Amino acid sequence: MFTRLANPARFLGLADRLLPWLAGATVLAFAGGLAWGLVLSPPDYQQGDTVRIMYVHVPAAWLALSIYLFMAAASVVGLVWKHPLADLAAKSAAPIGAAFCLIALVTGSLWGAPMWGAWWRWDPRLTSMLVLFFLYLGYLALWAAIEAPDKAAQAAAILAIVGAVNVPIVKFSVDWWSSLHQPASVMRMGGPTIDPSILWPLLLNAAAFHLYVATVLIWRLKAELIGRRLRALGLAIAEQT
Amino acid sequence: MTPRKKRRLWLVGAGFACVAGATALILTFLGDQLVFFLSPSQMLTAPPGPQQAIRVGGLVETGSVYKDADGLTLHFKVTDLKASVPVTFRGLPPTLFREGQGVVAEGRRQPDGTVLATNVLAKHDETYMPREVVEALKASGRWQEGAAMPDARPMTGSTP
Amino acid sequence: MTAALLALVRRDLALAAGQGGTIGMTIGFFIVAASLFPLAAGPEPALLARAAPAVIWIGALLATLLGLDRLFQADLEDGSLDLLLLGGSPASLIVLAKCLAHWLATGLPLVLASPLLALLLGLDPAALGVLAASLLLGTPTLSLVGAVGASLTVGLRRAGVLIALLVLPLYVPVLIFGAGTVGQATLGLPVLPGLGLLAALLLLSLPVAALGAAGALRLATS
Repeated sequence: MFTRLANPARFLGLADRLLPWLAGATVLAFAGGLAWGLVLSPPDYQQGDTVRIMYVHVPAAWLALSIYLFMAAASVVGLVWKHPLADLAAKSAAPIGAAFCLIALVTGSLWGAPMWGAWWRWDPRLTSMLVLFFLYLGYLALWAAIEAPDKAAQAAAILAIVGAVNVPIVKFSVDWWSSLHQPASVMRMGGPTIDPSILWPLLLNAAAFHLYVATVLIWRLKAELIGRRLRALGLAIAEQT
Repeated sequence: MTPRKKRRLWLVGAGFACVAGATALILTFLGDQLVFFLSPSQMLTAPPGPQQAIRVGGLVETGSVYKDADGLTLHFKVTDLKASVPVTFRGLPPTLFREGQGVVAEGRRQPDGTVLATNVLAKHDETYMPREVVEALKASGRWQEGAAMPDARPMTGSTP
Repeated sequence: MTAALLALVRRDLALAAGQGGTIGMTIGFFIVAASLFPLAAGPEPALLARAAPAVIWIGALLATLLGLDRLFQADLEDGSLDLLLLGGSPASLIVLAKCLAHWLATGLPLVLASPLLALLLGLDPAALGVLAASLLLGTPTLSLVGAVGASLTVGLRRAGVLIALLVLPLYVPVLIFGAGTVGQATLGLPVLPGLGLLAALLLLSLPVAALGAAGALRLATS
């Protein structure tokens, strides 16, 4: 299936058929998730309405991590099997991941101010998340700095793979060290520690965020492929004249 | 085996040895470093010096909170259920602060063994519940505020 | 092969010593940059002594960055990089030899100059040994990780700023454990865990840097 999808022309055809459905599902999931999370779900017994920041903060943080993992995996595929689509997938995912990383940092700060009593502390979880954001920025800067696209792809791939050591540090920082940040509540041994009336809207919002990422990623990938085809056409025309 | 292959084997072996050595060192020492806060037991077994800025974290011991006559200075004990450390703090604690709540106090240890805090941060645990569920759990006697959830880990800074 | 790698180290060191004294400039930058701090923060000795580990370590980070953009660039420009990669030694070992030369020309002088800085900043003399040990274990990691950044940006114009952006986030653990261990020493606390973790980072960066930088160099010369 992957080898078939890796064919750019076939991917473009599939993308055109998928995109309307994905976009529609994203809008529906966001409408449902935000209404449920921000209005209908009950306030937390300790945090009151402040807990609603979680419906944005937690999905954004999950995606910031999983998009980086996706980039690193796509980079491995790109380096080993020289798949052009894998390189472009990593490139298209990076700005989305960086944006979610920033959202997680900002909403986390907004959440920390009323709950912890501090906007920012140099806590292992917070610090490693900030480093992840810097790694995203470096990755984007490297793509921007190298002009030849295939060289940029391979250099950026090496950087993404080296930087991936930070991902487990972010994920497990709250378990390895004493931290101000609360431990994992959903993806943990022994099941979630969130009441279903709060867990379900969180999961719906997470689904909405993932659908959004899938939509935008395919969209960006399509734009990259068309851009590459345009460059190739431009070169061909320049050679003829 | 050609010399080239042999050399590659050596290099791969050296790489794995490096990674294995690093893993062993990290597993040995990581728990001791990079703690955001000390637990009261850790603080009592190795008392920090007076010039060291420290953080001590745990639960606010039930029945230990009282205010001075000036209405501003707050006294409470931070406990990890094994040991407890008295804390003095002058100022406004965060809204979540109360008995049984997880807190982190930032400050310095005084000669009498108390901690004079410049900052008190509330540490939230990983349980999220609506108020009605809490009431129901309390009514049925299965859970008390401040205690750990029936199936949750203790939230004091336990280092592996 | 070993002889060839040693010759490479010797050549790089001779270049570093010859080219307008790169070694002297690194030490000079290290000392000037770190002594800017007391001028900005005021001369209060207690404050200086408390900040000294952080200032010295940040100075070491920045001083290591200085020469990184020339690490492979000069070899690429005069064509010797192609020759090195074709020469029969594995690319990863060539990278390690280059890193060794870079460390001998920048990291080691920083270790040797650190007592002077400790004196200027009023660091507790009891922590001097730990400061030197932490730099001795930490600066090779800085060279190795820096080599990955340098090899990824080789051939680019204005690579210096980009290297800093790529490499500084990866330097964070070294900085935390390096400065943290020296801080521990000034308080009379155990330093073995911190030094052990610095050693772990060094061991980990050896294969990562060798593979990563070798891949990037093959890419740059292809």
